[in-house]
Amino acid sequence: MSALQAMAFPEAAVRARARLGAACALPDPKEYGRALFGFDPDAAPGDLIDQLRLVPPVFVPGRLEKLLELTREPVYRDVRLEATVGGLRSTLPLYLSAFGSTEAASVDLGLAASRQAGRLGIPMVVGENVTPVNGYGRIEEDAERSLLGRISAYAAHALDGFGGVVVQQSTEDADAEVWNLVYSDPNTQGLLESGRLAFELKVGQGAKPGLGGMTLLSASAAARLADVFTIDPLFGGSSDVVLRCSSPGTFTEEILRQQIRLMRNNYPRAGIWVKLPPARDIREAALVAWEAGAGAVTVDGAEGGTGWAPVAFLQHVGLPLAECLRRLRDHPGCLLVSGRMWEGARVTKCLALGANGVGLGRAALVAVDTDAENGLVNLVECLSLEVQMLTSALGKYHVGALDGEDVWSPDAAGR
Amino acid sequence: MTQIELTPASGPAFPSSPREHLTSPVTRSALRIQNRMLAAAREYLTGQGFFELLPPIIGPVTDPGARGAKQVDVDYYGHRYKLMTSAILYKQASLAAFDKIFCIAPNVRLEPLETARTDRHLAEFHQIDVEVAGASREDIMALAEGLFSYVTRQVTDRLPDEFDRLGRDTSAFAGLLATPFERRSHVGAVADLHDLGHDQSPDAEINWAGEAMLSRKASKPFFITDYPKGSRGFYDKESPDRPGYLRNFDLIAPEGYGEMCSGSEREHDYATIISRIRETGENPAKYGWYLQMLREGIPGSAGFGIGLERFTRYIAGLDSVWQASAYPKIPGVASP
Repeated sequence: MSALQAMAFPEAAVRARARLGAACALPDPKEYGRALFGFDPDAAPGDLIDQLRLVPPVFVPGRLEKLLELTREPVYRDVRLEATVGGLRSTLPLYLSAFGSTEAASVDLGLAASRQAGRLGIPMVVGENVTPVNGYGRIEEDAERSLLGRISAYAAHALDGFGGVVVQQSTEDADAEVWNLVYSDPNTQGLLESGRLAFELKVGQGAKPGLGGMTLLSASAAARLADVFTIDPLFGGSSDVVLRCSSPGTFTEEILRQQIRLMRNNYPRAGIWVKLPPARDIREAALVAWEAGAGAVTVDGAEGGTGWAPVAFLQHVGLPLAECLRRLRDHPGCLLVSGRMWEGARVTKCLALGANGVGLGRAALVAVDTDAENGLVNLVECLSLEVQMLTSALGKYHVGALDGEDVWSPDAAGR
Repeated sequence: MTQIELTPASGPAFPSSPREHLTSPVTRSALRIQNRMLAAAREYLTGQGFFELLPPIIGPVTDPGARGAKQVDVDYYGHRYKLMTSAILYKQASLAAFDKIFCIAPNVRLEPLETARTDRHLAEFHQIDVEVAGASREDIMALAEGLFSYVTRQVTDRLPDEFDRLGRDTSAFAGLLATPFERRSHVGAVADLHDLGHDQSPDAEINWAGEAMLSRKASKPFFITDYPKGSRGFYDKESPDRPGYLRNFDLIAPEGYGEMCSGSEREHDYATIISRIRETGENPAKYGWYLQMLREGIPGSAGFGIGLERFTRYIAGLDSVWQASAYPKIPGVASP
């Protein structure tokens, strides 16, 4: 475990799950028979999704169907979790979100997360700017730091037939031709040939919609990247760190449509994902992406983000995830969402509100930081158990059957 | 690093050494034919008033291409330079000096590994590159047709023994060069492929298998025109009459040999090019010198590039394009 801290995030609870796994879905067994439990009215209200409640029905025709199939009363372990996440077969409706090249997500954590995501059989997104900042790894001596290091770690542990690697590229990455490199690399042919390679066009991100990626770099590393990125020495001449910024990239409807078409044209054997920020025209942008042939649109709610972001943006900019989901109701393609995901209730609510899969970002980082061997696997084991319990309580036995009727909003009570 | 296993689709075994390849009678005949083709191309173009320009080999930016090929980076005194994937940007810029230019341009493209099995891809190859200021697509297609026909006649007339050695019957060329090549649109080609039961996206480049099918069905070269935007580079001009379609073309060889020439009317308006660069996902910043030239004004133009090794393969009737190169580089295969 490192000094990594996840401020404004339930870090202690995530670390406990990373250590103890499914046991954390229930109160401490030592307190069984000694303490009384119940709703805590003093708990922080959280964001709009936290304020929603999942509401099981009395009448459960779905359970009857499952009973007929099983010839016994179904229980929560009968809930099927397998899902198609952006065209990739996944053991769970989950994927590992991009960490990028922020220092917090640096080499060891990235590799640990890659290995565990592979074991879990869930897709993994590798962030933009890993290649321009850390290199690709085919010829460089420190290959482990690189994009290829992450991909190789995933592939070496991948569950047969499940998961996949999704490689992001942003505007500045285009200079390094990340996708061209990955697509033509002998090392990635196994993933490509088994249909487990996809590319994600990064249009924006949750924590700082309207801005590009930001990392802090040492002044010497910055000098090397000065002709690719904007380098802003805003911490003063005496500081040995500088801010490295990507541009957000310029998009119009036509630019987005044609970029997606060109991706399909250039990489016909790879899946195509598009990552959108929680922007006010999220629905229009997502519809353009699906219409142009994107296999998935990922939306990072304003609550999301592992990266370095200006303080003003963290508290005041972008649509909350709940509002993104509301605006994207009845969507025609695969919708993946992320932002503060770490436990089963939030995941189940997002699936009920229309998401087809949910991304783990900070929670995965904290989990692998807690236990590099099994932290993420343990966290996901607990989350999966909760999703199974919640879904079965709703009278459903496949996560794909969750929908809006399963969720109650406080707004509805006032009507 | 993993080394790919090369299993040629149908062609002959890749030679085990440069000596074996260079001393092969097939290689010698193919290269003699190619040598004569180059001389004929220079005669034809020079006779029409063209200026032969020697193109650069490296530069800060090159043709971004549109089929997933990686560029080769060169560390140029600490600046990231590229080996040319095509001369397109320099061809447009060179019109500031001369109105009608051509180059015999070496190109390097690290193509996706699946192209190792197409028999028609090399990572290193040459193009007969032509650009004409003020020309329309129709003008430049007519020029490509004329050049193609002249070169073919010259080489078949002058080197009958080489064709005999290769077993290539040249009598068919005379008839097929007598009339203009057929022109069909991309929409028409997609419809033809759908009729053949082939899966082909209407928004994308004709895929390798589809192109081979169309080529096999043809008995003479033909043009495919009007590719959709999103399948080609930013410099192919969008049709003002049909938004979403490009004023471009490919020339496809018959008998399954496939595409051997691409060309277009060029975009040259600064603001349009900036938008088109973004549509291809590129960062305009790295095109600084080119954009500055556009801003100051370069003439409208049209041009094309003929893949020399592919053209040679078709004329000589070779099984695989690598037979038309003295030092062939098949994508992914480390060879001298």
